Amino acid sequence: MKSPIFYVLLLITLGLLGWGTYQAIMVAPPESTMGDAQRIFYYHVPAATAASILFWGNFFASLWYLWKRSPVADALAVTGAEVGVVFFGVVLVSGPIWARYAWGTFWVWDARLTTSLILWLLYVSYLVLRKSSEVGSTSVLAAAMAMLAALDMPIVYMSNRWFPTNHPQPMIGTPNLNPEMQKVLLWNMLAFTMFALLIAWFRFELERTSQKINQLHLRKAAQGISMAMLAPLLLFFQDDKALREQVVQHHYMVAGYIAVWTIYIGYLLFLYSKLKKLNREAAAIGLR
Amino acid sequence: MSAATGKRVAAETPPKSMSITRLVWVNVAKDLRLEWRSRDVLNSMLFFSLLVVVIFSFAFSPTADQSRNMAGGLVWIAFLFSMVMALNQSWARELRNGVLDAYRVSPAPAEALFLGKCLGNFILVILLECLMAPLFVVFYNLSSVGPLWQLVVIALLGTWALVVNGTFFAAMSIRTRNRELMLPLLLLPISIPAVGSMVTATTQVLTGEGAPVVQMKFLAGFCVVFTTACFLLFETVLNAE
Repeated sequence: MKSPIFYVLLLITLGLLGWGTYQAIMVAPPESTMGDAQRIFYYHVPAATAASILFWGNFFASLWYLWKRSPVADALAVTGAEVGVVFFGVVLVSGPIWARYAWGTFWVWDARLTTSLILWLLYVSYLVLRKSSEVGSTSVLAAAMAMLAALDMPIVYMSNRWFPTNHPQPMIGTPNLNPEMQKVLLWNMLAFTMFALLIAWFRFELERTSQKINQLHLRKAAQGISMAMLAPLLLFFQDDKALREQVVQHHYMVAGYIAVWTIYIGYLLFLYSKLKKLNREAAAIGLR
Repeated sequence: MSAATGKRVAAETPPKSMSITRLVWVNVAKDLRLEWRSRDVLNSMLFFSLLVVVIFSFAFSPTADQSRNMAGGLVWIAFLFSMVMALNQSWARELRNGVLDAYRVSPAPAEALFLGKCLGNFILVILLECLMAPLFVVFYNLSSVGPLWQLVVIALLGTWALVVNGTFFAAMSIRTRNRELMLPLLLLPISIPAVGSMVTATTQVLTGEGAPVVQMKFLAGFCVVFTTACFLLFETVLNAE
């Protein structure tokens, strides 16, 4: 992490994240029926956007790897999958918190939710494969897996297309979306996409360092974070309508923020500890 | 090398290069012969699916109407899990005595090996399904409302979809440290759409509610797409170093 551009971008991103969050909580008008609980959209949707960019990155980097066998492509592929899994994890956590308020249930097996879960599972299995394959064959096997995973997604969508979905339809650019809300949403999309790409950059540099000292296999993303997420979720487990009305919309928003930032911060801590470990190893073998 | 040996080698006619069909057949025949002599895989698959039948019967008390609605999922889950056992074995066999390495250096195309393995596994799993089907009928009071030939088509397409993916991912997972554990972790997420439509289609035939034609077309598409992809990528996976 020697590049000053990284730190400049980091400052801008932190500013944008703060600005986006301020806008989401204070400026955007409350939704007519969902109230504050709807504000979860302002980080649910951007996280999904960022994750899909990262998964596409994984696909193209894997293709590049199969073609050229370049270690840079391999590092990009693993970055795309791992950071993508974290951001998509955020989508899968913040969505149910909102759904518990709006639909009264955390999860329904409808088209959109099922395909999302399968997408996430596919990339988790990609990471598991990377983690447990033998050193040397990891990159090739992982690239082959990434091809099949990317191939599976259109099929999963197809297989689900005749099921109805409860999930809200895309609204950006349509007259159904309040322009004030749209502006806030776009700010947040910009902020979280930059955030994702910066984390990806950080992760990429780590992978390159790791490749240099021949540490090719990976930690599974977000290990143990799921435990931390249980705490805020426990609040809403009773299916008691009176209680649900008592726990105001506002609490759902707060719970969403806690859960989501637990994931982000947990992942950053994980990356930080990995960096420390790599630095120690690099020093031990005299790399720098 | 002595001059005499050199002369003898030169005097022999060069080996006739084998056609792909012949190579595939050799592979299938070898696998089936091994299986016929040991019966490791078929026995364990049969016993395992039998256990699944028994254990599931504790989960619900099967009456004819209920079981029609659940049998689709149950049958395929039993077959899927026992298939995983067979697939693991089929490649583990090739690791002993370095057979796989020998194959890698031989001039025979990798696709022939892959197709041979797929066909061998396909025959085994179809055999398992033929043997298990009467048991399901007996234990779960099954009788089909829809036409039976549709079940046969669904079984053939679905089994091929799972076997092709399974053989491919089994070849991938023997390259990992925890071999037997990896296969379900890789295979299940990828095959969810196929399993889903197999279960839906089977339930539709059994209950007679709705035609499974859409699902059958979908399964056929799935087979085509994944057979192509696995054939294209198999050599890469076999030679991954």
